[in-house]
Amino acid sequence: MIRVVSTFCIGLMGFTCIANYHVSEQTRIARQELTRTEKEIKAETRDISVLELQWQKVANPEVIQKLAEAQLGMQNAPSVQLASVHDLPRRGDMLNNEDVHSANAEVEATPTPVVKAAMRSGM
Amino acid sequence: MAAELTVYQRRILFGAAFAFVAFLGVGARLVDVTAFNEKLAVPRKAETVFAARADLVDRNGDLIARDQPADDLYARPRLLKDKRAAAAALAAATGADLTRVQAVLNDKYSSALIARRVVPEVRVKVDALKLPGLEYLPNSKRDYPFGRTTAQVVGVTDLDGKGVSGLELGLEKQVRSGQGPIATSIDTRVQFILAHETALSMAEFHAHAAGGLVMDVKTGEILALVSLPDFDPNARNFQEGDSGRNIMVQDVYELGSVFKILAFSLAIQDHKIRLDESLPIGNGFKIGKYTIHEAEHMPAYLSARDVLAQSSNIGTAQIALRSGAARQREFLTNLGLLRPLKSELPERARPLYPSNWGIVETATIGFGHGISVSPLSFATAVASIVNGGRRIAPTLLKNPVDSRGEQVVSPETSATMRDLLRYIVTDGTGRKADVPGYDVGGKTGSAEKPGRHGYQAHKLVTSFCATFPIADPRYLVFVVLDEPHGTKATGGFALAGYTAAPLVGHVIARIAPLLGVPINPITLAKENHNGSG
Repeated sequence: MIRVVSTFCIGLMGFTCIANYHVSEQTRIARQELTRTEKEIKAETRDISVLELQWQKVANPEVIQKLAEAQLGMQNAPSVQLASVHDLPRRGDMLNNEDVHSANAEVEATPTPVVKAAMRSGM
Repeated sequence: MAAELTVYQRRILFGAAFAFVAFLGVGARLVDVTAFNEKLAVPRKAETVFAARADLVDRNGDLIARDQPADDLYARPRLLKDKRAAAAALAAATGADLTRVQAVLNDKYSSALIARRVVPEVRVKVDALKLPGLEYLPNSKRDYPFGRTTAQVVGVTDLDGKGVSGLELGLEKQVRSGQGPIATSIDTRVQFILAHETALSMAEFHAHAAGGLVMDVKTGEILALVSLPDFDPNARNFQEGDSGRNIMVQDVYELGSVFKILAFSLAIQDHKIRLDESLPIGNGFKIGKYTIHEAEHMPAYLSARDVLAQSSNIGTAQIALRSGAARQREFLTNLGLLRPLKSELPERARPLYPSNWGIVETATIGFGHGISVSPLSFATAVASIVNGGRRIAPTLLKNPVDSRGEQVVSPETSATMRDLLRYIVTDGTGRKADVPGYDVGGKTGSAEKPGRHGYQAHKLVTSFCATFPIADPRYLVFVVLDEPHGTKATGGFALAGYTAAPLVGHVIARIAPLLGVPINPITLAKENHNGSG
């Protein structure tokens, strides 16, 4: 009986040692992977940070305006705000006490300018 | 039945049972710690990548300033076989001075600094050289994607990453507190438009300097602040004609007639005038040994309303005198014009005003002479008048909530002043600031600059202070041109009505749709009809 118990205990100890070694080895490998992944994340974050900065530079209105004027021959066009977004009815709201089922609009091919904008000509 | 166990056998059995239970306990605890107990796991700190300073973003989240990785490049001279060729290649790739690079590579030290703050683009070039013995020490460089457009308001940092001007200095604590991005009140779209139009006007009128700002009169947020000449914050050295001086906050000006807004606000608040009453103008108004003249020819009599619309100095002097020196001083103090204005910007200017505030001073201050304030201070005072009469403090941090404080003038006075400002634009000196449909109200200001021998007739500071939409103003636009010159198109005139007013009109025409200000179809139709007629 004692031999059996002793053998079982020694076997259990041996198994525990092997299991512990296995877990610690897995942990070491996982930690290495984690470190590598963290480095990659750090490098990616740096790259994203630099790219965001570069994007901001190219999306700068000054750059876009220069490109539009030089490449597309565009000029500042007067624009008007006819209504605020807040004035629009919310989805599901009743319009004139009736549900809105469909809507359409037609736009003139060459709309005549209705706004006399203060353009930089003369003074 | 088995023989009874001896005492030794019992002890061994007891010991084995104890060891078994202990193993079980340790095993159970191991399982618990590894599988179920998360609390014992060591928390991992979030690593900061390289940023020492937080990002600055505009009110829409667009980047205004960010640290980007820019490591310092060192070389180990001993590992370089051909130092001369290496020096030439490194100097060409980094833009460093060739003589200096040659000198440090031939020096006795084991490590030589080749270039500081090497940005990623340059690093790619350096790495392509495949030279041995190169190494980088982590560093960062503050980058400003909007460059000159935001330079004066955002400011810059020094080589050690400390703020030296603008918001970089004013928000130093917040920027270094390790928080996320700091949202400023600046709208980069509005900032660009204001900078662009101001630069065009400055060039057109050959002005010495120019500046402008756009402010939300209800929240106090400054959406744009421009001061020209400016500088390139990414270059870190000034080119010819550049300036790091923000005239909108650092300089004080005698602003001239635009100050009449304040004289009228006070008189209306104290019921000292009726807008329909007639005031004698004549050829000059004598106070003691001084005579006040008009800048332009005026009729003999003007209604109080037209005194402001036609910008009569004599009429305004009479109105200011009705308020009296003590009350005028109290009013301007209450509006914060007699002390330096506090904002997130570290730059501020001390206003200049007479120590002996007598009758003559009361009259001249009424039309904006004899008192010098910073443009930002003045704009803030006017914002407090037109926003319903409640005190507002300017801020460069995003804070889109109504921040108006106590009343400085009554809501009725505020409404009357708004009507008068609109009248100036429709029928007075501010016509060129009008933008059909946006109901602009505003006042011109043309002041001769003081010199050694008195005021200089040909050196003007012109300004225009506008607010829109006038029925319930949301935005205030204030521009200043320092020493503009007349052109053929203006008939040689350099007064504010010809220089500053059109500039404000151009700015409002471009920013109002961006800011979601709805057009007033009634005034649009009316003004288009009048225009076509």
